[in-house]
Amino acid sequence: MEVAAKAIEAPASPAWRTNLATIAALMARAKNELVRVPGAAIPGVLAPTIFFLGLNGVFGALTQLQGFETGSYESFIIPVSMLQGAGFTGAAAGVNLARDYEGGWVDRLLVSPAPRWVLLAGNVLAASARSLIPATFVLAIAFVIGAEWPGLDGLAVCYLMVAATAAVAACWGSMLALRYKSQSAAPLMQAGTMALILLTPAYAPLALLQPWLEKVANVNPLTQVLEAARQGFVGSVTWADTWPGIVAMAGLLAVLGSLALREMRRTNV
Amino acid sequence: MPAIAVAGLERAFGEVLAVQGIDLEVAEGKIYGFLGPNGAGKTTTVRMLTTLLLPTGGRASVAGHDVVAEARRVRASIGVALQEAALDPLMTGRELIRLQATLQGLPPAAGRQRADALLERVDLTAAADRRVGTYSGGMKRRLDLAAALVHEPSVLFLDEPTTGLDPVSRKTIWEEVRDLNDDGTTVFLTTQYLEEADQLADNVGIIDSGRIVAEGTPESLKDEIGDPHVELLISEGEVAEAERVCAEIGRLLPPKDGKRVLVEVENGAADIPRVVRALDEAGIAVESLELVRPTLDDVFVDKTGHHLEKEESEGGDEEPVPT
Amino acid sequence: MSDLAASARVVRALGGRSIRQTFRRPQLLAPIVVFPTLLLAVQTGGAGASVELPGFPPVQSFLQFMLAGAMMQSMMLAGNSGGIAFAVDIEMGFTDRLFAAPIPRFAIVLGRLAGTAALGLFASVWFLAIGLIFGAEIEGGVPGALLAMALVTASALAVGGIGAAIALRTGSASVVQGLFPLVLVVLFLSSAFFPQELMIEPAKTIAEYNPLSFIVEGVREPIISGIDATVTMEAVAAIAGIVVLGLVLSARALQHRLRVG
Repeated sequence: MEVAAKAIEAPASPAWRTNLATIAALMARAKNELVRVPGAAIPGVLAPTIFFLGLNGVFGALTQLQGFETGSYESFIIPVSMLQGAGFTGAAAGVNLARDYEGGWVDRLLVSPAPRWVLLAGNVLAASARSLIPATFVLAIAFVIGAEWPGLDGLAVCYLMVAATAAVAACWGSMLALRYKSQSAAPLMQAGTMALILLTPAYAPLALLQPWLEKVANVNPLTQVLEAARQGFVGSVTWADTWPGIVAMAGLLAVLGSLALREMRRTNV
Repeated sequence: MPAIAVAGLERAFGEVLAVQGIDLEVAEGKIYGFLGPNGAGKTTTVRMLTTLLLPTGGRASVAGHDVVAEARRVRASIGVALQEAALDPLMTGRELIRLQATLQGLPPAAGRQRADALLERVDLTAAADRRVGTYSGGMKRRLDLAAALVHEPSVLFLDEPTTGLDPVSRKTIWEEVRDLNDDGTTVFLTTQYLEEADQLADNVGIIDSGRIVAEGTPESLKDEIGDPHVELLISEGEVAEAERVCAEIGRLLPPKDGKRVLVEVENGAADIPRVVRALDEAGIAVESLELVRPTLDDVFVDKTGHHLEKEESEGGDEEPVPT
Repeated sequence: MSDLAASARVVRALGGRSIRQTFRRPQLLAPIVVFPTLLLAVQTGGAGASVELPGFPPVQSFLQFMLAGAMMQSMMLAGNSGGIAFAVDIEMGFTDRLFAAPIPRFAIVLGRLAGTAALGLFASVWFLAIGLIFGAEIEGGVPGALLAMALVTASALAVGGIGAAIALRTGSASVVQGLFPLVLVVLFLSSAFFPQELMIEPAKTIAEYNPLSFIVEGVREPIISGIDATVTMEAVAAIAGIVVLGLVLSARALQHRLRVG
């Protein structure tokens, strides 16, 4: 081996630039699985699509009930499937982190001077970005079978909720991954996300839910998120229907993000 | 100021004390070999010194910074190649080094330059744009080492860097470690291979069951043990009798397996004829005989009562003598 | 000892292993029970008003209607899980040990299916209990409940046979695991979750001919109205059809496995 590369004088970057560069680098790494592993994107896309088509085929007649704002069940249910896809993607980010932990990769990150929140942000934002793929795929299918066009504003709000849901799910998954340091926590990651999304007016409007589910849905922050994502598909977009979803998402991100960061900081305990 | 200073360092996992109050110092620019069997506490110690694990007692500083209170500064000053080569099989070698450069805060242009230089240094230029998943074990270790060097750390931690490698790859890593040290990098190296510690380390600390049982230069440690020993391969059924005979000539050492008798002799090769004569007079057949100079394994045996390596130690100073 | 008695002993021994494996690993058991229970809860809570739709069969509640679907879902997941366990045995080399032993080949498959059947029985008991706890009535009484349990257990055996065939053919746990979405598709394209007459096309037509629909109706009928011989026989015929398919596929896959090693 040749001896000694010369020392390279590297001007110090401001911290914010370094942090951004680190987040971008971690997101670039995360995309490798999609781009470099054949078929890796398929499960994340297949599950929400099957659920969407299945639920539409099974429960489509529900729109005949009084209380449904739309006669198009596919329009009613498509935001649920998009959020489900986001949930799966976010949970998968947690599973990947657990796998990275088991393989020693996370040690490489933890032994670097990068702040812990930067390391977490890289994982979470990658999930957010990745969630747009299954969301777009299932949305395209929905349009093919007749879902209403939500308008650009409705679409924008829906995608915002999808990306935020993926981020929340990634925080949840990351928290579990860092706590248990094992992929065996994967079912808990998936189940937690799925439960949160389904304990909402997923199948029918709030007024048509059974009393116990109506109570749960009323306190579930994901209900506000779903309603915000759904509004364009079943009517028009209003600020009154949008801001609760934004607040709910911000709250969930704050809580779960803090918990995940706490676990990230406690990996050496 | 020492590059690494450890005082009373402890780590408990529940009731189990994996590291039991160790003290050590590593001067700047030296190679410290941390030698011990599996489960001795080597990796736990390294993980504490590299801030991956919080100590439950004692203090440690690396590059002048406390590992608990100034953890981030420690991380900025150290390079680490851990026991599991923590590599992403989907990344190319070049991508990995660049990512490491970003993690260490290097601007993009500097990171690219550094990646090219390091890949050349570890002879991975040709494979730089191949995925790490296609690399051999030796290539992965070299890449891991290169990644640990991307920010020119003043202290380098290598946790069993050659475990599982073939002899050629091992020697390549050794050369690189020597070169780094020549450049002034302090190296803290854990290993379970005697020859590795013997060949590379300026100072060796021997750890067993969480405690440092011996510390010093390899030569001083071996000199402490003293005399060489004769290793005799005896026919089955006659080992006990052979031990009785040899005990009258020199000090018996713990056996390595059921067939060899080890006896320490004061005068080295000059005592061999005495041993052979005594065994011959007792009617004991000797299948082979070797004069073995003290190794670090002997130091380990002396301090702990058992061998570091179950097999015959690699590269010890052995002179086979025909019977 | 006769050959039959010897084979029965082998099946019992391998079956015992399969059952122990299944119930000793909660992390494998939980998704088979937890996921369908969660879905049952949200579907009854979310779509419970469906019973008011014109044409909905007369039921005490949507929960009463959905119990059969939940059992079917659990049963299908159990079949998939049994196939995965078999594939893991193949990957680990355990089946090689069995193939090298002087035991009939069919005993190896039957023993594996015992675990799947046990899971099916467990699922049927679990969901019947859940139904009773949350107020659903079993209109067919004890005989109805026993019939439902028997049909679910038998269909677990049938579906398990297909899972075993895939495991033998591919020898890969990840391939069998990858078939999980197919399980969902088959379920959605049946009357497991909704009356077939009220489904939307093309799901409606597919469900009409889906063998799983006949099995679901066979399990559902004793719960929502009482034992009906015709519906029961149709369910038994559908199960028999799947059993035959599973047997044929398993036999071929077994020959393939023995040939390639």
